[in-house]
Amino acid sequence: MKFIKWLTLSLLVVLIAGVAVSQQKNQKRKGRAVLSVPKVAKKDLICFALYTVHDNTLKLTAQLYPLPAGDSRTVGLEIKKEEEWVEVARATVIERGWTAPFRVEQWNDSQSYEYRVVHEAGSTYTGTIRKNPVDKGEIVMAAFTGNSIHPAHGGDISREDIIANVKRIDADVLFFAGDQVYDHFKHYAGWLKFGRDFGEIIKDRPTLCLPDDHDAGQPNLWGESGKVSTLGGASDGGYSRPGDYVKEVERAQTSHFPDPVDPHKIGQGIGVWFTNLNWGNVDFAILEDRKFKTGPAGRVPKQGPRPDHIRNPDYDPASVDVDGAVLLGERQLKFLDQWSQDWEKADMKVALSATIFCGGAHIHGGANGRLHADMDSNGWPQSGRDRALSALRKGFAFHCAGDQHLATIFHHGLRSHRDAIWSFCVPSIANLYLRWWEPLKPGANREPGSPIYTGDHLDGFDNKVTNYAAANPEKKPAGNILNTRSAGFGVVRMNTKKREITMECWPRNVDISDPGARQYQGWPRTISQLDNYDPPSWGKLGKLTFDVENPVVQLVDETSGEILYTVRVNGKTFSPGAPKGRAFTVKAGRDQASAVILEEAEVGGSARDIRVK
Amino acid sequence: MKPLQADSLLVLLLRVGAFLCLAGWTWVHFYWEGPYGVLLWNDSSYALAERLGIDWEDFVGTGADDGLVQRWIGLTGWFYLAVTVLTMTVRQKSYIQMVGLLGGGLLLGVLAYAKFIGAQRQLPMLVEHGGQILAPVLLVLALRLGVRHSLTIIAAMIAMVTTFVGHGCYAMGLWPMPATFPAITTLIFGVEHETAAAMLWWAGILDFLVCAGIFFKVSRRSCALYAAIWGLLTAVARPVAGMSFSLNYWGADQFVHEAVLRAPHFVIPLYLFLVWRRSDQIETVAVDSDIGTGPDAPQKVGPRKMTGSPID
Repeated sequence: MKFIKWLTLSLLVVLIAGVAVSQQKNQKRKGRAVLSVPKVAKKDLICFALYTVHDNTLKLTAQLYPLPAGDSRTVGLEIKKEEEWVEVARATVIERGWTAPFRVEQWNDSQSYEYRVVHEAGSTYTGTIRKNPVDKGEIVMAAFTGNSIHPAHGGDISREDIIANVKRIDADVLFFAGDQVYDHFKHYAGWLKFGRDFGEIIKDRPTLCLPDDHDAGQPNLWGESGKVSTLGGASDGGYSRPGDYVKEVERAQTSHFPDPVDPHKIGQGIGVWFTNLNWGNVDFAILEDRKFKTGPAGRVPKQGPRPDHIRNPDYDPASVDVDGAVLLGERQLKFLDQWSQDWEKADMKVALSATIFCGGAHIHGGANGRLHADMDSNGWPQSGRDRALSALRKGFAFHCAGDQHLATIFHHGLRSHRDAIWSFCVPSIANLYLRWWEPLKPGANREPGSPIYTGDHLDGFDNKVTNYAAANPEKKPAGNILNTRSAGFGVVRMNTKKREITMECWPRNVDISDPGARQYQGWPRTISQLDNYDPPSWGKLGKLTFDVENPVVQLVDETSGEILYTVRVNGKTFSPGAPKGRAFTVKAGRDQASAVILEEAEVGGSARDIRVK
Repeated sequence: MKPLQADSLLVLLLRVGAFLCLAGWTWVHFYWEGPYGVLLWNDSSYALAERLGIDWEDFVGTGADDGLVQRWIGLTGWFYLAVTVLTMTVRQKSYIQMVGLLGGGLLLGVLAYAKFIGAQRQLPMLVEHGGQILAPVLLVLALRLGVRHSLTIIAAMIAMVTTFVGHGCYAMGLWPMPATFPAITTLIFGVEHETAAAMLWWAGILDFLVCAGIFFKVSRRSCALYAAIWGLLTAVARPVAGMSFSLNYWGADQFVHEAVLRAPHFVIPLYLFLVWRRSDQIETVAVDSDIGTGPDAPQKVGPRKMTGSPID
């Protein structure tokens, strides 16, 4: 028996050790990339840098490779003035994540500056802080999501096409909506790779990266104000990875954002970064649509094989809109309320978040996995979705997001179809997980000649949505591994002169400056800024002619005292839209709607000349 | 306790362990969903189906209707239910039911493989399911060969070792630790993540030590007892950390099965602890009930000292 005993023990040890060593050594498998932190020369210790300029404050975060022991932990930021490098700030490197955050106040944003980040070991990294493009007339935003690096779906294909195209359009701002890093354990290594891939365009323009679920190290994220999640899939709400890991992720991706408007920390000491960036007279609200959101597990009646999935098409949508379920949370709604009224140096407003405010897909996964509704989307909780859209439409905000792995254009509805904002969900850089917008019934009120999946629909939560485009992947992707899976990127052109927004959706590996290059079906589409709050049932109050250019106008419901909307008028004339049968107080001013210019205004009113000087 | 009662208890223990494990997974299959998507939603599975003459929409469904994949996943739950029932009904000579139970082990093996693939082929994910996969097999061995038969005990040792080595590999950070490990530790003990990670690292060391310890007579009972207690604690930790009065059904439908299906993690070490009572105290009695001293055992013998079958 002793022989059997020792034989068993030895075999077990040899088996486990052998396979373990083999697997540890041979991590590279077909279809998956292996992340590591490369060793670099001392001159290359600074990997890349991200920055924003807002309200005359420059915030720049330098991302470093690990500094050798004994090397200085201080990094300098210099700008070139009259051919001389002048140090404007110093920062101490935060070793956990190796970031160096700089802050320069009283920044002159009326001109461009070359900058360089300098480390005394001999490493420098150079770029350009752009001048604020207030006189440009069209602000161009390149928008991305889903940066998978795995070869199985083309993640290993070079991003050079994206770099070249961003340079061709000379984007004023870059927006990465989430999932910049898919590895749930090695964000730092993934982030360095992201920097190596995109640093060349990031270094020269303001860049906003919103850490989403995979960046935070989990498959889905309902942050629930920093709770600890213990359920596989994390649908119980909270963060799966430790708070320090999440903080490191957020430091790397967001510490260069304008200061948060309400910086109180949440659970586990995790910070917040929701804020706004005013650039080129476009006011971007940067939203955290994951951080405060309630996890569905145990809160809503089970309707499918996962706590967050609804498979039963006959369920009662109202049953999942449970009391206490949060989407943006009170703090962000308060911010949005103030933001929508503030038009100082702003001609247009754009909201940026990880995902869109509806269930934006029907088929999920590798094939025909029909899901009635997905609570990972911002279609749930419906009350929270309605509050968010109500707040955003008060500022005529256009919405751009990602996450879905499926590019779409939706016009959202609250009480009726098309009475709220428009959203553009951009396609993934490389598409890890396929989704299709494929309603079972043709949409109502479709545009002539448009596909049957467009038009007015109810999503799986009974939210009113009107689809205008969906870049559905092929049913059985084959061949071009990127574009058959509908990979690509978005471009949003915000014309501050015409007050128009143009959405473009480009496949990968095309030259978008080539007149022959084709976008995904349904793009481009141009809408007016005012389309973001123009319910079909509304009428006009009567033409107002002002004595100043571009005043700010606000309508207040005389019965409820609630602000209907605030907007900066384009030019001197404005015919305010409003619901019929209600009376409004109209306020106006040069930069703030501070003076009452009209009372008891109703639809069908007469034209007026208004003095606001 | 008389030997007959002791052996009955041991069989009951293995029976309960297998029952709870399979019942837990049955719950998962019916109430939630088996983790097979990763195996079926891929090109190679479709290529196989195509060779069998099944077209794309028959395989994956049309989107409005279920395809072979969804129907197969739905059917699996019924197999689990059937095998769960067998754990209660099987007796010493129920050969067909035993085949069914061995099929249950196979089902658990497929499930473990799916989880292994889903975990990006992390070896510990596959290895740690050894205890669960072997739970119905152990019951068959105990009934056919006897609860004290060397093969039964060796199988139980393998089951315990795989479970604890798998956990230990994760706990020591040899593979990326599942986020739930430190999260649960943090919540239950109210400690910071670093402390939780340190606690888990030591727990991982102990996992390996007890696996080695069960091969030595001097330490095997204490190691098995530790493993039984630790296996129980880690199983119940999930509902303890996750359940809340504020949730529907207190969150029981989300978390309780997580503890139940891990029953082999503490039942099998407990079985080893009990079976390794000092061999000179052990006597066997031939029986004709279901306690499974084996078909070749003498039908009527007097008390005798066990010298061969139990591993010592």
